[in-house]
Amino acid sequence: MGFVEVEAVKKIFYGEKKEVVALDNLYLTVNEGEFLCIVGPTGCGKTSLLRLIAGLEKPSAGKILIADKMVDGISRDVTLVFQQYSLFPWRNVLNNVAFGLEMKGMQKSERYDYARGLIELMGLTGFENAYPYELSGGMQQRIAIARALAYNSKVLLLDEPFGALDERTRHRLQEQLLEIWEREKKTIIFVTHNIDEAIFLATRVLIMRDRPGRIEKEVKVNLKKPRDRRSREFLQLHIKIREILETILTESGGNNV
Amino acid sequence: MKTVLLGLIIPILILIVWEYFAVKVDNTSLLPRVEAVFDRLAHPFTNLLDTGSFVHHILVSATRVLLGFLLAVIIGVPLGLLVGRILLFHRLFSPIIEILRPLCPIAWIPFAMAIFKTYTIADIFGLHYTTNIFGQIQLGMLFVIFYGGFFPIFLNTVHGVKSVKSLYIESALLLGANQRDIFKKIILPSSAPAILTGLRVGLGISWMVIIAAEMLPGSDAGIGYLIMFSYELAEMDILIASMILIGAVGAVLSYGVKVIADRTGRWQARER
Ligand SMILES: Nc1ncnc2c1ncn2[C@@H]1O[C@H](COP(=O)(O)OP(=O)(O)OP(=O)(O)O)[C@@H](O)[C@H]1O
Ligand SMILES: [Mg+2]
Repeated sequence: MGFVEVEAVKKIFYGEKKEVVALDNLYLTVNEGEFLCIVGPTGCGKTSLLRLIAGLEKPSAGKILIADKMVDGISRDVTLVFQQYSLFPWRNVLNNVAFGLEMKGMQKSERYDYARGLIELMGLTGFENAYPYELSGGMQQRIAIARALAYNSKVLLLDEPFGALDERTRHRLQEQLLEIWEREKKTIIFVTHNIDEAIFLATRVLIMRDRPGRIEKEVKVNLKKPRDRRSREFLQLHIKIREILETILTESGGNNV
Repeated sequence: MKTVLLGLIIPILILIVWEYFAVKVDNTSLLPRVEAVFDRLAHPFTNLLDTGSFVHHILVSATRVLLGFLLAVIIGVPLGLLVGRILLFHRLFSPIIEILRPLCPIAWIPFAMAIFKTYTIADIFGLHYTTNIFGQIQLGMLFVIFYGGFFPIFLNTVHGVKSVKSLYIESALLLGANQRDIFKKIILPSSAPAILTGLRVGLGISWMVIIAAEMLPGSDAGIGYLIMFSYELAEMDILIASMILIGAVGAVLSYGVKVIADRTGRWQARER
C-alpha cells in the first residue's frame, strides 16, 4: 500500500456544450518519501490529477487515498504549487512565504525567521519586502515554492514549477529541491515537460497519455546521486522516455507538443 | 509643478471672462465682480445674512454628509460582502437592488421630507429645542445622503468580492486557511481597492445630494440652505462663494479618499 493511492479514477469536466473526459481509469501508487515525476503531452490531465490529489476536485469515479485516508477535500497533508502565478499580490514576499505559518498561528518573529531562511534558499535574499508585481515570473515561482515549503506538508505537489526559469537557475533549484526532499523526507509529485529535469530529480518517471488521460508507462530511475546529465545511463533513459512520448504523440495525431 | 500650472490655465481664463462680463453688466445682484466673491471667501468666519458664517454652514453640511455616509458604509460594505460571497443573499437582494438603483436620490427628497418631516437626531434622543449640532441633523436629509452613498459602496463591494480570483482562495486553502482566514486574509484585502473606489464615489454623491436636500424647507443651516437664502436676498456674491466652497470641499473629500485608496490599491494598479 503506497502513501498516495489513486484507484480507478475518472474525471469528467462538464463544459457548456460538451463534456471532457480528462482522466479515465487512472491508477497510481506513490510510496512515502518518493520523488515522482510525471511527464506527458499538454492537455493530458496532469494538472487535473494534481488537483484531485490535493482535494480541490472530486473524482467522477474511483477514489484517492493518502495515508490510508480517503481524500475528501483539502487536507493538512498536501499542498500544491500551481502552474500559474499564485502569489497574493497584496502581500510582500516575506508575508507570502509566511502565509501558511501565519495560518498555523506561529508568532510573527518566528515565522519571519523561518520564511527568511526559505527565501535565502531560493536565492532571493533582499527581495523580502518586494511585492509580486516587482518580481519576474521565475522569481515569483520560486517564492511560491518557498511558500509551499514553509507550510511543510507531507505531500508536496509541484505543477511545472521551473518552466519559466533559465537553465542555470533551473539546475540550481533542482539541486536545492533534491536537498530539501532528502532532508525532510517529503513525498513529492512533480509535473514537468522537461525530460532531463524528470530524470535528474525522480526516483520514478511516469509518462501519461492523453484522450483520455491515464498512465502509459513507468520508468524507474536507479541512478546514483548526484546524477550526471551527460552520463551514458542518463542519456539512455532520456532517449527511452522521449521515444515513449513520441509514440503517444503520433498516436494521438501529433499536433500538440 | 508644470502640471499644476497647466491645470490653472482654464480656471484663470474663467475668472477673466467672468470679470469681463461683471464689469460690463455692472449689476452686483446679477453678476458680482470676482473681487467681491473672493472677499467673501477671505472672511470665512464672518456672520452672513444673520445665519452664521461659511465655516458654520460647511460644518453643518459636512456633519450631515459624514453621518449619512457612515450609515451607508456600515450597511453597504457588509451587505456587499454577503451578497458577493453568499448565493442566498445574492438571490435575496439582487431584484430589489436593481429596482431601487435607477431611482435617483433626489427623487427621494420629497418622500423623505414627508415621512421624516423636520425631525432631527436630537428629537430621537428627546432633546427638543437643542442648540447643538444634533438639532441640525434632519433625519430626512440623512436618509437621502445614505441613499446616495449606498449604491456605489454596495455595488463596488459586490464587484470586488466577486472578482477575487479562485486561484488565491485555493492557494490559501492549500496553506491551511479556514473560512474565516479566507475572508479576512484573502477576500477583504483582494477587494479592498474596489471597496475604496466605492467609498470615494459614494462620498462624492453624498456630498452632491446634501446640497439639493438642504434646499428644501426644514433647516436654517448648511451650505445648500445658504445658497437658497442668498438667492432669495439677491446676494449673488455669497451665492457664488458658496458654490466655490462646495466644489472645493468636495474635491478635498474625494482627494482624501483617493490618497488612502491609492496606497491600499498599489499592488492592483501595477499588477501585470
Ligand atoms: N475546469 C475545467 N473545465 C473543463 N475542462 C477542463 C477543466 N480543467 C481541465 N479541463 C480539460 O481537461 C483536460 C486536461 O487538462 P489539464 O489542465 O489537466 O492538462 P495538463 O496535462 O495539465 O496540460 P498542460 O501540460 O498544458 O498544463 C484538457 O482537455 C482540458 O481542456
Ligand atoms: Mg497543467
